[in-house]
Amino acid sequence: MKNYIKLTVLFVVVAFASCSDVIDVPVQTAETRLVIEASLDWEKGTAGNDQTISLRTSTPFFETNTNTAVTGATVTVTNDADNSQFVFVDQNNGDYTTDEFVPVLNQSFTLEVIYNGEAYTATETLNPVPEILNIYQGIEDGFSDEDIELHVVFQDPPEEGNNVFFKFQNQGDLLPTLEIGDDRFVNGNEIDWWIELFDDEETDELESFQPGDIVDVEMSAISTPYKDYLEILIGQIGGSGLFEATPVAVKGNCVNLTNPENYAHGYFRLTEVNKFSYTFE
Amino acid sequence: MQKQSKILKLLALGFWLLAFSFSSYGQKDYTLSGTITDKSNGETLFGASIFLQGTTIGVITNEYGFYSLTAPEGSYTLNISYLGFDEISQAITLNQNQKLDFEISEFSTTLEEVVVTAEEPERALLRKPEMSVAKMNIGTVKQMPVVLGEVDILKSLQMLPGVTNNGEGTGGFHVRGGAGDQNLVLLDEAIIYNTSHMFGFFSVFNADAIKDVKLYKGGIPARFGGRVSSVLDVRQKDGNNKRFEATGGIGIISSRLALEGPLFKEKGSFLIAGRRSYADLLLKAAGEDNSVSFYDLNLKTNYNINANNKLYLSGYFGRDAFELGDNFSSSYGNSTGNLRWNHIFNEKLFSNLSAVVSKYDYDLGITAAEFDWISSISNYNLKYDLKYYFSNNFKLDFGASGIYYDFNPGQIIPTSDTSEVNPLLLDSKKAFESGVYVNAEHKLSENLTAQYGLRYSGFSRLGGQAMVDYANDQPVVYNSALGIYERGTAVGETNYEKGDAIKTFGNFEPRVSLAYTLNENSSLKLGFSRAAQYIHLLSNTSSATPLDVWTPSGEYVKPQLSNQYAFGYFRNFKDQVYSMEAEVYYKNTDNRIDYIDGSELIGQNTIETEILNGESRAYGLELLLRKNEGDFTGWIAYTLSKSEQRTPGGNAGGLGINDGAWYNTPYDRTHDISISGAYKLNDKWSFGTNLVFQTGRPVTYPNGQYEYEGLSIASYALRNSDRLPAYHRLDLSVNYKPNRKPEKRFKGEWVLGIYNAYNRKNAASISFGQNIESGANEATRTAIFGIVPSLTYNFKF
Repeated sequence: MKNYIKLTVLFVVVAFASCSDVIDVPVQTAETRLVIEASLDWEKGTAGNDQTISLRTSTPFFETNTNTAVTGATVTVTNDADNSQFVFVDQNNGDYTTDEFVPVLNQSFTLEVIYNGEAYTATETLNPVPEILNIYQGIEDGFSDEDIELHVVFQDPPEEGNNVFFKFQNQGDLLPTLEIGDDRFVNGNEIDWWIELFDDEETDELESFQPGDIVDVEMSAISTPYKDYLEILIGQIGGSGLFEATPVAVKGNCVNLTNPENYAHGYFRLTEVNKFSYTFE
Repeated sequence: MQKQSKILKLLALGFWLLAFSFSSYGQKDYTLSGTITDKSNGETLFGASIFLQGTTIGVITNEYGFYSLTAPEGSYTLNISYLGFDEISQAITLNQNQKLDFEISEFSTTLEEVVVTAEEPERALLRKPEMSVAKMNIGTVKQMPVVLGEVDILKSLQMLPGVTNNGEGTGGFHVRGGAGDQNLVLLDEAIIYNTSHMFGFFSVFNADAIKDVKLYKGGIPARFGGRVSSVLDVRQKDGNNKRFEATGGIGIISSRLALEGPLFKEKGSFLIAGRRSYADLLLKAAGEDNSVSFYDLNLKTNYNINANNKLYLSGYFGRDAFELGDNFSSSYGNSTGNLRWNHIFNEKLFSNLSAVVSKYDYDLGITAAEFDWISSISNYNLKYDLKYYFSNNFKLDFGASGIYYDFNPGQIIPTSDTSEVNPLLLDSKKAFESGVYVNAEHKLSENLTAQYGLRYSGFSRLGGQAMVDYANDQPVVYNSALGIYERGTAVGETNYEKGDAIKTFGNFEPRVSLAYTLNENSSLKLGFSRAAQYIHLLSNTSSATPLDVWTPSGEYVKPQLSNQYAFGYFRNFKDQVYSMEAEVYYKNTDNRIDYIDGSELIGQNTIETEILNGESRAYGLELLLRKNEGDFTGWIAYTLSKSEQRTPGGNAGGLGINDGAWYNTPYDRTHDISISGAYKLNDKWSFGTNLVFQTGRPVTYPNGQYEYEGLSIASYALRNSDRLPAYHRLDLSVNYKPNRKPEKRFKGEWVLGIYNAYNRKNAASISFGQNIESGANEATRTAIFGIVPSLTYNFKF
């Protein structure tokens, strides 16, 4: 909810006075870090045995070469209760995969990555996700009365501290939209989550949802530390404008045991996930 | 506490003893006192000087136009002078205490003229120990280029050394590297919490209702307290008590009207002034759903009960509103009221009692999510100030004040039964701030004048609520494994009854300054001041926004304490046509808070889990060269400065923000050059210009990227380790007064202004993200104002 409150101020300034343009700006270059994208998502109703962990490196900010795959690392995930270990096999393209993973709800797992003689580790618990009660499209809600928004309805569990993570990918758009929510102001309620895309008036680059568009949706329940991490990360996507919080470092849960200063970007997350596609009418 | 009050008593006693020591010498002295007013409208004049010709005995009128001077028995010639007014000389024989009021008239018959002579205090005032002060008469402000259709006090102040803004599209101002919330802004003694309309487009001060403005950048007199950086003391006009008068202006963006006139057979007067922007009406007429607007209202009235008693009532009410379609609406503003009683005990003792209320609130309605958000701060203030004109060499100010604060940090009200948002009321916070002070202005010798004083301030965070207790007493904890600061673990609550104080603070704040006159035209000044600040504006954005909330000091938020040292050289030359001021300063502030990565300040009940206590320091050199007289007047101001802060982990552990190293505050400007000029061609035409150059504001840029969730994620460099491009702009104005007939009562003028004449796209912010089509990273600059022309017609009758 506070996001709404903050957004409003921003929109007013943008709507009334400003003009923006793309310019060249010199920036600093930090040392290269390992990036661990270890997202073990268990789609509801599947076995969840097939999982992929991606290892890459960071690059200078304006670098356009995207060949950052990390090969030759050792990647394992351990079930902390029974010590069963899952070895992820190097595919030599930055991906490490397994088809033997056994997901267990509310169970904690530990990730270990050994790369360049340094050991990285992280621990996380697999969270259950609430059922989706309804999916529909509307036009009245959202920031605009003219653009279509997609609604996803679900029941927030009674205890406080539940967080949801949505990933919306409109087919045909290059970039997905990420959103998170906590139940701080809405605890225990039936929640009607909506998403609306904006028309960019200046560039016409991004378009709102149109009839016929297909959007792929992933909804997962996430831990509070991961929510805190994503909150900063998502808040800084697209940059930090005039009335947005000063941008800060985003540190995930992958700790470098060998050399703590050389921490890894990214996160080790385990979630149950609802996946569906919706075609707008 | 006991001990402190004892010390205070002793100090007060010391002052009196000191004072008496000066009364002992010889000859019989008599006192002359009274009030100096403007003949045309009866407005009292602040800063008019009264001198006994051929002596060094003289005094300057106080905020209420009152003066008192004491001299040995004899015959004198009394000289009275004030900016743009005819000088009066009058022979007097001083053989008893007497009361003499003077009315002086402006030397031109026209009103609010382009004034071509700066008043005494705007020249380098040599003898007064007052330093680091910028005083502006409304006449001077009106002389500067009018660039957005209206005279703007805050924009004028930003042309002076040591004063900057935080970029366009943001309100407020920054003094000597200080934050916006470190400025005490007073409008007729009432605290103003937000100084801007429309995100800094206009200031809340309607120039038609304002009499004078004084900004203390340092050397803050002991009678002011509560903020560590500066005091902006703005006073409203009393209203014309001679005749009815209307002043107004019709502009493209906004219009304004002020009415004033006598009341109760010239025993009183009133002023009512209003302004309104009408972009919203035009936008609505054009079928636009979005709109933005502001209006404000100034009120003042006074009543002369008798020669020794006068009452003033003043008020201000301002509001900004904006709407985005049907889904969002928001409004915010200040409202204040002040009742004052001036009482003159005798020819040497002047007093003023004020009861002041002030409120700022922010309301937001979000139809889309069916809730309203409200936050506010209000305060009730009672203060009593006295000035004792002991002798020509010794004057004493003393008084006391108490402020009761009520903070509502936020409230959510669902607007329908179907709203999925739960109602929420954050804990309202209450506090009491008190202050007592004594301050002496003491002429130690022919060449050396001192001003020294002491303020004692107290602050209590009041109970009536529960406070969260944290494991190990740590509201913020450093997670050494992940290298991040996290919110502490709540282990329980302590309940405080209404009568209890949650936490109490007390601080002595000494203030000293010295002026040493080297010769007729030059002097050296030295100053030290210590100040405490007990309430803080919470903002982790690059610029403060109207919805930021204030919070009181308490268990975990410590009062800010600053020490400022300043040294200056002041010189008048070429018969006072030119003046030069040079000052260096060093200021350090303890307990300046900064915010942990990912802090959440809105809707936050436990602010202590979001902050770390640190410190800040600022130092710099300020130069001001002014031309005070002639057809061409103006100044060049240059500031070279540094403003940094450091936020160690402290009780939370870890090294702190930026590993505990010093980093730039957002208010750091290495270079700041402002040139302001006004040229009067003839009685019809005059021209003005402003040129501003500033080093870019410190910001945080990315230093790398990586792929995550199909997006390019930026990693960011250390806090405030980059800078926006330099800020510069040129403003121009032309003033045309048609058909000037001095005998005609109606006077009109056209003002054409051009803000940012060469259309510099000054970056208000630069944000970094992916191009939506190519996916490549890019930097996007947001500029708020390009070139902005304005045209206004001003009138007076």
